[in-house]
Amino acid sequence: VIRGRRPALVLLLAVVIVGAPPVRAHDAPRLDDEFIKGVFSPSFVPPPPGSYELPVVAKVGSFVLRDTTGRRVSTSAVMSGKVAVVSFIYTACADRLGCPLASTALRELQTRLRDEGLGGEAVLLTISFDAARDTPAQLAKYASAFGADPALWRFMTAPDARVLDDLLRSYGQDRAPVYDERGRFTGRYRHVLKVFLVDRGGRIRNVYSTGFLVPQVVVNDIKTVLGP
Amino acid sequence: MKRTLVLIAVILLAAGAAGADETCQSPFLPKVTGQEDYIYVWTLGIKGVADGNDSLVTVDANPSSANYGKIVHRAPVRGQHEAHHAGFTDDRRQLWAGGLDSSLIFVFDVATDPARPRLVKTITTFVKDTGGLVGPHTFYALPGRMLISALSNSKDSGGRTGLAEYTNDGKFIRTISMPAEAPYGYDVRVNINLNRMLTSSFSGKKNYMRPVGELLKDAEAMKQFGDSVVVWDFHARKPLQILRVPGAPLELRWALLPNHHYAFTSTALTGQLVLIYRRDDGTWATKNIAEIGNTIPVDISIAPDDSKIYVNSYGDGTLRVYDVTNPHEGKLIQQMKLGEQANMVSTSWDGTRVYATSSLLSQWDKPGDHWLKGFAWEGGQLVSKFTTDFSGVGRAHIMNFGAKSFGPRAEGTPSRVAGRPAVR
Repeated sequence: VIRGRRPALVLLLAVVIVGAPPVRAHDAPRLDDEFIKGVFSPSFVPPPPGSYELPVVAKVGSFVLRDTTGRRVSTSAVMSGKVAVVSFIYTACADRLGCPLASTALRELQTRLRDEGLGGEAVLLTISFDAARDTPAQLAKYASAFGADPALWRFMTAPDARVLDDLLRSYGQDRAPVYDERGRFTGRYRHVLKVFLVDRGGRIRNVYSTGFLVPQVVVNDIKTVLGP
Repeated sequence: MKRTLVLIAVILLAAGAAGADETCQSPFLPKVTGQEDYIYVWTLGIKGVADGNDSLVTVDANPSSANYGKIVHRAPVRGQHEAHHAGFTDDRRQLWAGGLDSSLIFVFDVATDPARPRLVKTITTFVKDTGGLVGPHTFYALPGRMLISALSNSKDSGGRTGLAEYTNDGKFIRTISMPAEAPYGYDVRVNINLNRMLTSSFSGKKNYMRPVGELLKDAEAMKQFGDSVVVWDFHARKPLQILRVPGAPLELRWALLPNHHYAFTSTALTGQLVLIYRRDDGTWATKNIAEIGNTIPVDISIAPDDSKIYVNSYGDGTLRVYDVTNPHEGKLIQQMKLGEQANMVSTSWDGTRVYATSSLLSQWDKPGDHWLKGFAWEGGQLVSKFTTDFSGVGRAHIMNFGAKSFGPRAEGTPSRVAGRPAVR
């Protein structure tokens, strides 16, 4: 349960502030607390930190991207010495149960990291895969809408398609543009929502998707990766 | 109820959204929620039939197509490997298909042209990678990786085995051994809302690659079958409880509605439909809920609203439908003779279409025709829609659904192929 908050309202507010395009009725079911509750409080208690293994899935590369001020920053610099929770979104995502929902979960994760004193050990990094429309300014608005603390939660966008393709390939994040019947790009992407837990050595140790992007699970995994 | 079903469909779709039948696919996989366009059939190659190779056969499954019910493509691999099960990666771009004999894994690209899957990789190191697992069976998508249950081991070809994980691009991650008290393996399925994973149990290579006539006469060999379902902590990949389910429990199917904390299996050797359910104290128990009979039930499929279980039996070639609205009591509501034998049965995501295939194992198949059959619910009855004859390509085994919408072409635009992503 998201402690004392109204996640649906937060989400709605975020969508309004960022100005994401309206969602078509057939693919936009009413977002209600029942669903949010199902995603954030599944019927299990996560296993205690350190009681299980998170083997290395893959090593990821470093990429020079732009942050919300437009500065060129490498992902390795942002992630240096920290466990990183890396997510891929685009701010125009029309599927409120996709990117906005993930960002809501990350917002909760940010709070928990602070509460558990992990602010110096972990960083959240959200990267847009819509480099054309997600300018630094647009990402800044999105970050603000989700209450991102720049010290803990960074947003970045790729300078060009080549860097973006290399980045997505390195993480194994799929993304396909959706076209309409006349072959025009709709502005939407089909993608499977994935969030990656990357250790201090730049190695993916877990991959989450909606359904178990549960803040306490991620916190326990971060502690597991950090070790005793 | 309808609103709940819609909600669940949406949840699973969004969950990275939403097994061989569509209703048993991994919760981490996007689903074909409407009309499937294709059925990919992992098909045993038979000497003297076509080139004799195992192949991934595409059958057109869209009633609006001129090729409805016809084979429209065949992607052969080199040799015969005991083609058995297959499953998609979490992005539904690849279909991994296993050989129970050779332990090779064939990776097909099904996204570039969904009608024409293309072999893009063969993993030849499964036995070595995994420390001796043999017979890759279930291919189950997890975020960014594939979870694979095995049937056997390289040391004695018996039933002691385990699970393996690989990245989506085919790199080995880890092996998880089955517990010593329940060493056999078969199927694996996850309920993410409960953080529980179930595994079932069959038999080792020295049994499944043996002619069935011989095997049945060998009393010692017939003792070498699994009798357990293991309940695991999925996140920790640790076994929590071993449930004794005598008679080789095979396919596992979780109920889909979020407040339904149970699953089903069937036992091949004892002919039972079995409920696996969570008790109030959080532990798990089983109950036989229907006597299927001495028919060697093999595959099962669950309706999307958890109201029905479909059971295909190898022994009498019959499809049976059980009402499991009350999961503690299975009621036989329909049965239909499909052929001399039957194996897989698959339900569409909307529950209105059902498909079945014939082949079980190369050494166990009876003489006779091999086919894929399509049915639809009409007026409360399952009605035959088509039969696809496999006599020209091999023996039809597992089915996975494909859709044009998972390909690169524009929605509703057959000619345009998307090139680079629309980033300018």
